[in-house]
Amino acid sequence: MSANRLLTHTGTPLDFTFNGKAYQGIAGDTLASALLANGVNVVGRSFKYARPRGIFGHGAEEPNGIIQLGSGAGTVPNLKATQVELYQGLEASSVNGWPSVNFDVMGIIGAFGRLMPPGFYYKTFMYPKKLWMTYEHFIRKAAGLGATPVEADPDSYDKLNQHCDVLVVGAGPAGLIAAREAARTGARVIIADEQSEFGGSLLASKQTIDGRQATSWVTSLVAELEACSNVQLLPKSTVFGYYDHNFLTILERRTDHLGLTAAHGVRQRMHRVRAAQVVLATGAFERPLVFSHNDIPGVMLASSVSTYVNRYGVAPGNKLVLFTTNDNAYQTALDWHETGRDVVAVIDTRSNPSGDIVAAAKAKGISVIAGHGLIEAQGNQRVKRALIAPINALGTEVTGPVRRLDCDLIACSGGWSPAIHLSSHTGAKPVWDESIVGFRPGESKQQERSAGACRGTFDLIGCLAEGATAGAEAAKMSGYGEGIAQFPCSAVEEFVEQPQQALFLVPHTKSTSRAPSQFVDFQLDVSASGIELAVREGFESVEHVKRYTALGFGTDQGKLGNINGMAILANALDQTIAETGTTIFRPSYTPTTFGAIAGRDVNNLFDPERYTAMHRWHVEQGAEFEDVGQWKRPWYFPQNNETMQEAVNREGLAVRNTVGILDASTLGKIDIQGPDAAEFITRMYTNSYLKLAPGKCRYGVMLKEDGMIFDDGVCACLGDNHYLMFTTTGGAAGVLAWLELWQQTEWPDLKVYFTSVTDHWTTATVTGPNARKVIAKVCSDIELSNEDFSFMDWRDGTVAGVKARIFRISFTGELSYEVNVPAQYGRHVWEALMAAGEEFKITPYGTETMHVLRAEKGFIIVGQDTDGSMTPADMNMDWVVGKNKAFSFVGKRSLSRSDSVRENRKQLVGLKTLQGSDVLPEGAQVVFDAKQKIPMSMQGHVTSSYFSASLGHSIALAVVKGGHSRLGQIVHCPLADGSTIAAEIVSSVFYDPKGERHHV
Amino acid sequence: MSKSIKLESPLYYFHGALNRKSNTENHATGALFNGEAEYGLVIKEATLSAHLNLRGDGRNPSFCSGVADALGLKLPVIPGTYQRSGNTSLYWLGPNEWLVVDIGGDSEKLEAKLRKSLTGHIAVVDVSGGQTCINLRGPGVATVLKKSSLYDFEHWDNATAVSGRAVQTNFAKASAIVSNNSDGSYNLVIRRSFADYVAQWLLDAGEEFGCRIEAE
Repeated sequence: MSANRLLTHTGTPLDFTFNGKAYQGIAGDTLASALLANGVNVVGRSFKYARPRGIFGHGAEEPNGIIQLGSGAGTVPNLKATQVELYQGLEASSVNGWPSVNFDVMGIIGAFGRLMPPGFYYKTFMYPKKLWMTYEHFIRKAAGLGATPVEADPDSYDKLNQHCDVLVVGAGPAGLIAAREAARTGARVIIADEQSEFGGSLLASKQTIDGRQATSWVTSLVAELEACSNVQLLPKSTVFGYYDHNFLTILERRTDHLGLTAAHGVRQRMHRVRAAQVVLATGAFERPLVFSHNDIPGVMLASSVSTYVNRYGVAPGNKLVLFTTNDNAYQTALDWHETGRDVVAVIDTRSNPSGDIVAAAKAKGISVIAGHGLIEAQGNQRVKRALIAPINALGTEVTGPVRRLDCDLIACSGGWSPAIHLSSHTGAKPVWDESIVGFRPGESKQQERSAGACRGTFDLIGCLAEGATAGAEAAKMSGYGEGIAQFPCSAVEEFVEQPQQALFLVPHTKSTSRAPSQFVDFQLDVSASGIELAVREGFESVEHVKRYTALGFGTDQGKLGNINGMAILANALDQTIAETGTTIFRPSYTPTTFGAIAGRDVNNLFDPERYTAMHRWHVEQGAEFEDVGQWKRPWYFPQNNETMQEAVNREGLAVRNTVGILDASTLGKIDIQGPDAAEFITRMYTNSYLKLAPGKCRYGVMLKEDGMIFDDGVCACLGDNHYLMFTTTGGAAGVLAWLELWQQTEWPDLKVYFTSVTDHWTTATVTGPNARKVIAKVCSDIELSNEDFSFMDWRDGTVAGVKARIFRISFTGELSYEVNVPAQYGRHVWEALMAAGEEFKITPYGTETMHVLRAEKGFIIVGQDTDGSMTPADMNMDWVVGKNKAFSFVGKRSLSRSDSVRENRKQLVGLKTLQGSDVLPEGAQVVFDAKQKIPMSMQGHVTSSYFSASLGHSIALAVVKGGHSRLGQIVHCPLADGSTIAAEIVSSVFYDPKGERHHV
Repeated sequence: MSKSIKLESPLYYFHGALNRKSNTENHATGALFNGEAEYGLVIKEATLSAHLNLRGDGRNPSFCSGVADALGLKLPVIPGTYQRSGNTSLYWLGPNEWLVVDIGGDSEKLEAKLRKSLTGHIAVVDVSGGQTCINLRGPGVATVLKKSSLYDFEHWDNATAVSGRAVQTNFAKASAIVSNNSDGSYNLVIRRSFADYVAQWLLDAGEEFGCRIEAE
């Protein structure tokens, strides 16, 4: 049995290691309680001064026991030892304490901290700037902020979206009672608590409720809640953020207590809760007292000492000195006395403490030294003695001789600070209340109320009453119950307490600046003198002082130090605390793993991959894929270890010489019906559709209001008042939204309906000189001759036994048939077309070849050759703009803006490199004078560039200032490596300029 | 064409897919669901069906009666509801938009029937190839829905044999029309191009309960 373990407390032994050394704890321990049981004094080193630090608290407020759990991929940095449940085989180490916590280089240097006064980042390390990286490395290493794993996280995390009527945060007395009252009404209740057991402060309490031990009262109440089907209990679950519209986030630690292994299912689950009403019952943190060397291991919060004794059966020392400003902490002296260990004395700052509990302590023979302060702790890696001295009533001066008390444990209590963090997240401004010497939650900004200690109500009977009222009220406001607590009030035996003393800085015989360090924020070594120095240097705002001194910057986020720090600041500024105010807490309440925030949206589930009906055929053929929006499109189909260029050359030549086949299913398709369909479409495209007959198609360009090209595609007239609009693959959703926007907001009088049919149709494009022969083999009910079925016509028919719709649209410049069938037939028809084309060596091709073929024809791709600043005229596409439309069209007016018609706009041209084998990089800048000094005058840029196997040389599309009047001129493209490629400006149509090939 | 035509539903390649951890701690403890204790989430894809998107004016009595005549169903005009008769369900999608799903039905015949009994400004669009209807059952369904959607399905009243609730909403990073059934299971109508993603998502989300996908 470990030295500090009380014999009354037993359990299953668990082995663990800390900083490489083996220890044993018992089931139910936290790492902190197990370390204390084993008498481990030093658990880390402080940020600036590298002072040895021990366990100080017992929960989320712990500033010193910051540890790294495990190693390798599953390692977790910056956990609080007080919140890590012990498990068999746990391995942990201090995050801070290079090279070791017990023998510390920086601790020996000691005076290092003198180099790091408040604002040290700003003062010391700013110049020279280039050394910042060196400084930062050194500071980070010294600060020991923990190590992030470098391997992928092997664990699984997920998220649940929850809805409830009443969310109760915290399962202490107020929270449990609130949940019971709300549950009774039938409301959906979620109650969450960060600890593994419900009960909060009651878990370590010796009080009785309704004549029963507090812990047994908790057990039966929890059982009662568990039996309710409308209540969800979430232990090990920290509510870490409170956002607008009563949206709260909870981190549930599901397997952390089982150890670091991925074998246990979901490690952490984030609950995203939308609650109609919220009851905050988050309790309070005990406030430490600020005295000299209050950071030596062996100085702890009074409530923490009680918790370790009562809940974990650990007495972290032998000889206790209790230092308090209030009655409440006397319980710790009583608890300690009961362990049989020595209570040296209770040091009370008040001159005449006289409450019930004080009397109870005195009755046990405990020595109470009133009107005194504990002005300094002494010791190195463990407290050895306390220096005490009489102080004046205001607590500002030492008024008498200093005495020494030998001890190895100092428990201190400066009263309690409500845990107002979540209320603060909502924007409620905390209000200082002198009567509780703390900030209360501000006026609610959301559907929430606080109950119990987090509202400044510290007596148990008050917590229970408030919790009951809050639970009933929250239920009523969410539509359940009468709003009045129904269960009878619990009977509680309680000591009547006398007022506490507000004391934020214990005076020393020396002035604050001369006294040994009086720590306010342990983690970042912010001392009282540091705050006063910041004021002397001119800082007045609490927010500025916080940033200058780093007060509250640590992983504990100022849960312990903030109030003391602000009070010391107020005093230095000669203000009241209310005037000084407090900094605002923000999410997260405690550190949250990124894994939980990501949830299952990782790896293959990170973003949906959209597949066409032929996707698996492409995969089977060994296609390489390209991402087009969320779609996976075949990029090219390499054969026999071909390079991409070789594959693209082969695919392109096949289309030009015989026949190719492309999966064009991803193009957006919008079905448009209604008596005003043609009018509406005509208002959206630059050209007119009023006279488009059934069976016919037309290419159109869509502009935004600014006259710039936004999408393009073909629109077919399917019948009277019925059209099918094709959009670009990436633009589909945007175009549908655009149509709906104009119809719903501008032209609701136009009778027209839009429906996406993108997923319904699968499209196989058969293109090349032999395309007709291929189609003829699988389709017998359409007259395929050019006279009967011409370019830009469509026909209904049967392809490979399936009802199909065929469009003669061409994006390659060759004879093309786009075969559309409902997607469930997609693969069947595709394979039938492949079989039919076999004798013509039909060649599947991907997006890369498609790009080359269309560039040979000078067809633009919206979003590649245009960038949202190009008009149809810029693209040399004036022919697509209807000048005489009755109603106008979206973007028309902008086409005559002075900027749209000015000379020298960037215009689409072709570029032909003087060396045909040179392929210009896309994005290359175009200049007219290759010898011009830098900065050169940029005249345009390359938008598309490929090697064309059909033409035997490279081709490029570019936008060049005034390009349409510069045909034949030579331009230059300077490259990043210093070389330059010269090219001639040519027509953007490289292949079959007369368009004869697709009219056959 | 004499060659038989092979049809592929959106989840064709997932039929028979399983995901179950042998040492899963959170074994489904609820009632046996069709005797399948080891699978807390069973996903069944309906046979290929007729899916028609229907547009019209829900305030127009002749439109309402025309729909009722053609489908033998009352047009649902209450937001977030559906009506069902036999294999045919009619989902409210918007003030002027509905989805007709006829499990195993012929979309052409159904479209013709609707067009015959409707007049004026309406639209009927065959979207059968673009979506599929899947059924989610088992004790894991409620949790899997919570993992997948922000929507509060618990808040719904129970469905009856002829009507229930339906919502068109985000489902993971795709979209779905989710509806409840009188037997406690849920139906999802999902888009074909997102079907692989949704199937992978569901198999993953259902892992803790044991999950499998089957065809009707």
